[in-house]
Amino acid sequence: MIGLTLTAAPLQAADPDVDTLLARLPRPAPDSTCFVEIRYSSLLAEPLVVSGRLEHREDGSLVRRVEWPYQEVTVLQGESVSIERAGSKTRRFTLDRAPELRGMLAGFGAILQGDRQMLDQYFAVSAQGSDARWAITLTPRNDKLKRHLSRIVVDGTENRPKCFTLEEPDGDGSLMALGVAGSGDLPASLDRGVLHAWCTDGDGQ
Amino acid sequence: MTRARRGLLLVAWIATVAILGWIVDRHLVIGTDLRLFMPSPQTPQERLILEEIGESPVSRMLLLAISGPDPQAAADTSRALAAALRASGEFRLVANGASSLDAIPTSLLAYRYLLSPTLDEVSLDAGFLRMQLAERVRDLASPAAGYLEPWLPRDPTLELLKLADSWLPARQPQLIYDVWFDSSGSEALLVAETRAAGFDPQGQRRTADVLQRAFDASRTDGDLRLESSGPGAFSVLMQERTQGEAQWLGSVSVVGMVILLLAAYRSVPVLVLGLLPLVSAGVAGLAAVGMIFGTVHGITLGFGFTLIGVAQDYPIHLFSHQHRGVDARSSVRALWPTLATGVASTCVAYLAFLFSGVRGLAQLSVFTITGLAVAGLATRFLLPSLVPDSSRDAADSALLGRIWHAIAGLPRPLWLGVATTIACVAYLALSPRALWENDLGALTPVPPALLARDAVLRKELGAPDVRHLLVIEDTDAESVLAKAANLDPKLAALVARGLLEGYDQPARYLPTRAVQEQRRAALPDPATLRAALDEALGMTPFKPGIFEPFLADVELARRLPALGPSDLKGSVFESRVGSLLLERDDHWTGLVTLAGVHDAAALAQVAAQEPGTTLLDLKQASEDLVSRQRERMLWCLAVSGVLLVIVVWVALRDMSRVRRVVAPMALTTLVIVALLHATGVSLSLFHLIALVLAAGLGLDYALFFERAAEDPAEQRRTLHAVIVCSMSTFLVFALLALSTLPVLRAIGITVAAGVVSNFVLALLLTRPVPGPTTNGR
Repeated sequence: MIGLTLTAAPLQAADPDVDTLLARLPRPAPDSTCFVEIRYSSLLAEPLVVSGRLEHREDGSLVRRVEWPYQEVTVLQGESVSIERAGSKTRRFTLDRAPELRGMLAGFGAILQGDRQMLDQYFAVSAQGSDARWAITLTPRNDKLKRHLSRIVVDGTENRPKCFTLEEPDGDGSLMALGVAGSGDLPASLDRGVLHAWCTDGDGQ
Repeated sequence: MTRARRGLLLVAWIATVAILGWIVDRHLVIGTDLRLFMPSPQTPQERLILEEIGESPVSRMLLLAISGPDPQAAADTSRALAAALRASGEFRLVANGASSLDAIPTSLLAYRYLLSPTLDEVSLDAGFLRMQLAERVRDLASPAAGYLEPWLPRDPTLELLKLADSWLPARQPQLIYDVWFDSSGSEALLVAETRAAGFDPQGQRRTADVLQRAFDASRTDGDLRLESSGPGAFSVLMQERTQGEAQWLGSVSVVGMVILLLAAYRSVPVLVLGLLPLVSAGVAGLAAVGMIFGTVHGITLGFGFTLIGVAQDYPIHLFSHQHRGVDARSSVRALWPTLATGVASTCVAYLAFLFSGVRGLAQLSVFTITGLAVAGLATRFLLPSLVPDSSRDAADSALLGRIWHAIAGLPRPLWLGVATTIACVAYLALSPRALWENDLGALTPVPPALLARDAVLRKELGAPDVRHLLVIEDTDAESVLAKAANLDPKLAALVARGLLEGYDQPARYLPTRAVQEQRRAALPDPATLRAALDEALGMTPFKPGIFEPFLADVELARRLPALGPSDLKGSVFESRVGSLLLERDDHWTGLVTLAGVHDAAALAQVAAQEPGTTLLDLKQASEDLVSRQRERMLWCLAVSGVLLVIVVWVALRDMSRVRRVVAPMALTTLVIVALLHATGVSLSLFHLIALVLAAGLGLDYALFFERAAEDPAEQRRTLHAVIVCSMSTFLVFALLALSTLPVLRAIGITVAAGVVSNFVLALLLTRPVPGPTTNGR
């Protein structure tokens, strides 16, 4: 675990153990949870917010259902992605076209399933904070993924992952808050700093 | 002749043959296009058929499947293989499902506004842009964001994506790891269009080697397996099997021949000398074909050497008639009238092929006639001086004496000949089954398992049918494209009705200039577009100014000349359009490939409504061609049969002798045809060639039996010669008859049965009538 020792060296004694954190997460993961996602893009003057539900189906597929401000269903199954939105043609593509999505899914899936091996395959993993308010940082290992994804930070409290934050090299990125029904439950400002503080519940400030 | 002069003659002969052989080897080009064995086209329709049989993209299409335990490895290999094949230059098009978004050259990117049909329905106004931008905002909030984002400033309506999507097959296989996979998800699938024509086995062989090397270099996993299917792959496979088997059977028969000749003459020099006329015949035949045609077809070569195998009989006649006290030169003088009649009449029979209207057969004819004439002349004028004096005399053989005695006691059942003729003719006339095989493929049949596999892959890939094709012809590309565009909605209607599963046509990739110009005229000027964009942007979260690249592209498109077939050189369009839109001589041809044809009549109806459009049923059309070709062939054979009888009559000058010589051969032909038919064999061109060969052999046997004068010793020598000849020929063709390949078996069975029948009938019907009749000559 070179990544872990390097990034976490100064605070090593205080930092929580990744395996302990993973082991605490509930198994099996809940098959459905609500989310709010905020997307930042250099093309946009202000971030985009959508909310809906994430579902794990028995066949292993992940369904991302957007319910607000419009209806959209994304099915991620194996390597293929299909996005269906009312009023437009279903868009299909594969994960090879969207490396950052592959990385996000791998990280997301591995954390929810406590699959340390899968995490290590894609990322250098480190943990910060305390057992009560922790953060796991995933840094991509391979070059292709690195070009599209700088890192993923998972913030959580106790046995609950709270925020998945994706940072892309060009400054774009997204934040997904889990277990949050609507943007009303988030801070009024969608500024990244404010939201980060919210994810870490004030500890990071 | 002194020893020294004899040696000099031998050296000079061998040297001449060797030098001629060397020249032939250096200059002769061996062709392999199977269409050389199809009739030369007489009508525009036939020309079209012959062109499409070998040239159409469908006949060049290889269906490839990469299978292995790990789908990811198969997908990676599929990508690497596709790249390697594209770079090899042997393929016009390689598709594996990976989208060509980034494959479109930057110089052609602005053309998307002229190529995409979107702007036929809508215009780039504020309303349309507002709707599109709203969709793009939602795209950015979706998991597709990372994939679409880089394109948005240049292409906010995603025209490029729509264009790339519209080029994908209507029914394409599922994508796994971004490449095509079969429905079970275990095999990566690719489609590759070879540069070599489908019916060019040599070109296909080269392509198959390139494919295998590329696969070996790109495979990421040792467990992966590559399968290739399609007309080209099959022609390589069948050629290999035919060659392999013919070679194996050939080597066995050479060993058999050597043993037979050693047993018959107990002399190594005789064995070697016996080969010289045959070798001279082969070299001379090749030289003649090379001089007249420039190239020689591989099949001509294979069959030609089979046919001139008869020349091996000529020295055998000479050797068998050798005996003590008689110089070879004087014995050959006595044999020559008979031998010359045999050579001349066989050559006359092969003349039929020269006028058959098939280039390959004309080559075969020139090769055989030249070869046989040279072998006959060499046996007459060169060989006798070289033959060592024989200490053995075939006439001394007690066994042969007893056999000849037994033969003399045989009945002469003329009634049997008449009865057999009537029976055979009646049977053939009354049998309800077709006598002839029109399907060329039936002769080199592809194993059913491979055909079934091909059908599965074709269905998985939605790849076009090899049988049906719509052909559009006109004087210029623009008119062809316009017709193709007219056909499109009608074909789409057939697909909707379930009568057709899919189609592909050139205007899908390259719209007519008229359409492109119409689309270009609909593009707004910069000021209008900017105003519309600003209006549309008003309510979106997009930053101002990010769509400048889009404005620049539309402005560029407004100044572009419409894209024509000649502008596509070197781009991905070139191969896509080039395989469906071709310039031939002074006209243009457009092809519409069809997948899953369920109702050919409905297609024919669609074709009939569009002038200059033909629905080709390649199977039916080639069968019609074959049957027309055969009709002509049979006429030629009939004429050469009459000529043959005239040659024999000129030599023998006696109608009853002519009858006795010709009867076994004619009867044998009839009996073999009836026998083949009775055993369920349909006759093909190759049976015809074999029948002519058998007839030539029969004529030789009959001529020599008929010649066998009253001298018992000479009779025995003739018997010896004919037995050695027929046994060696029978050995070669009986081995061929054991082949698993119908084409080799057809020739083997026909000739082997012909040898037996001719030998027996010559004994029964031809042997000289003792007494005054023979003495009178």
